Formats: sequence, C-alpha cells, structure tokens
Amino acid sequence: MSQTRQYELVYIVTPDASDQEVTDLHTQIEQIIQRFNGTLDKTENWGRRKLAYEIGHHREGTYVVETISGSGELMKEIDRRLRVIDQVIRHLVVRVDEELRVAERTREARKSNQARRRVARGLPPEPAPGESRGDSDMDDDRELEVQR
Amino acid sequence: MSEERGRGRGRGGDKDKGKGDAPRRGGGFFRRRRVCKFCAEKIDYINYKDVRILAPFLPERGKIQPRRISGTCAMHQRKLQTAIKRARQLALIPYVTD
Repeated sequence: MSQTRQYELVYIVTPDASDQEVTDLHTQIEQIIQRFNGTLDKTENWGRRKLAYEIGHHREGTYVVETISGSGELMKEIDRRLRVIDQVIRHLVVRVDEELRVAERTREARKSNQARRRVARGLPPEPAPGESRGDSDMDDDRELEVQR
Repeated sequence: MSEERGRGRGRGGDKDKGKGDAPRRGGGFFRRRRVCKFCAEKIDYINYKDVRILAPFLPERGKIQPRRISGTCAMHQRKLQTAIKRARQLALIPYVTD
C-alpha cells in the first residue's frame, strides 16, 4: 500500500557520546529500517562539528546523514524514536526524491534545449570540450535574440 | 556542462529591467542588479547541507538577503529560503547573530 520514497535523515548526537554509542544509534536505525522493509542507501558521518547556536547547552555535535528509501510509516517511526533518545539533540527528516527529480528534469530540459538551439545555429548538438564558456556564451545569446 | 541559459532566459528578463531602473533612481548608493547566481551557475538543487552555497546570502545579522539586493530569481529565492531554514534547524547556520 505504502509507497517507497527517498528521505534524508540528519541527526546530531551529543558531543559526550562515544564513537561506540554513535554506531549503536546507527545500528538501531538500521534495525528499524529493516523492520519496515526499507533500504539504507547511504550513510555519512560528518564527525564533530561546531553548532551555529547552542542546543541544550551543547556547543558541538556529531552529525550523521543517512539517505533512506522507504515508506512514510518508517520515517514516522524513526522520527518518533529519535525524539525519545536523549543522545540525539536534533534531527531532521526531509523527503528528497521529488526535489531531486525536479532538478534532474530541469537539467535535462536545459540539455535538450541547448542541443536544439545549437543545431538551429548549425553546430553539432554537443559543445566540444574546448569550446569557450563564461562571458563569451552570453554574447552568443544576445546575438541569437537579435536575429529572431 | 551546457552553454546556454535555456529557461533561465525568462528570469534574465527582470535583470535587464533592473539595470534600466537603477540609474534613474539617482543620487546616492545603488547596487547593480546582478544575474541570479543559481541560474548563472546552473545549480538545479540547492542543498541545505552545503553551507558554502548558502553563506553568501546571509549578511552579518544572519537574515536572509532579499532578492532585490542579491538579484536571485524568484524560483531560486524560494528554494534558497527553504534550504536556509532547514540549515538553521540543523544548527549549520545561525538564526540570529548579535
């Protein structure tokens, strides 16, 4: 019933926690993911980082970023669990699949648009690697506009 | 990557208008209206975890820089806004700096 979506989970662990505790937390999350038939796509540990402002008297924290594919119920459960765990001073769940898809679409639209316009100018659709970039291509644009 | 602006052109339109307006305002200080940074550099996805992308849009106070100053297009300003707010929640950037 529930759809698979991609989420990004970022959580900040207290600086007092040992490396072992951080990995324990990670395995805990992994277990929840397995229970809900989700998949853990990527994990990134940023390590200790200074916080921009104090959170519960902490000035530092260990950041962990996880990319998870799964259902909304799974994320709800993770969210609930992280709320309860005292070692996690802050967490954020963001759904990313939609945003990445939009970004992908704009990239493709730009590419095809470029190819179309290049062909219209009698150039090969793909720019050669050595072809000029930056300011000069702005001039190109203006020329094209005048021609129309 | 690609050489041209594509859909960015539509947004470029208000840039030109801004340029025309600026000198007329006359007397005193004006900032030249710039091109939207995200359109120019073809950044499609504004990542809230990347502080380096967000930093130029946060003046000393830590407030979000308005579009009229940064020159960001409406679409990207909107995306930038959500990215900054997420980054704030994660204490990557401050809510306020005194």
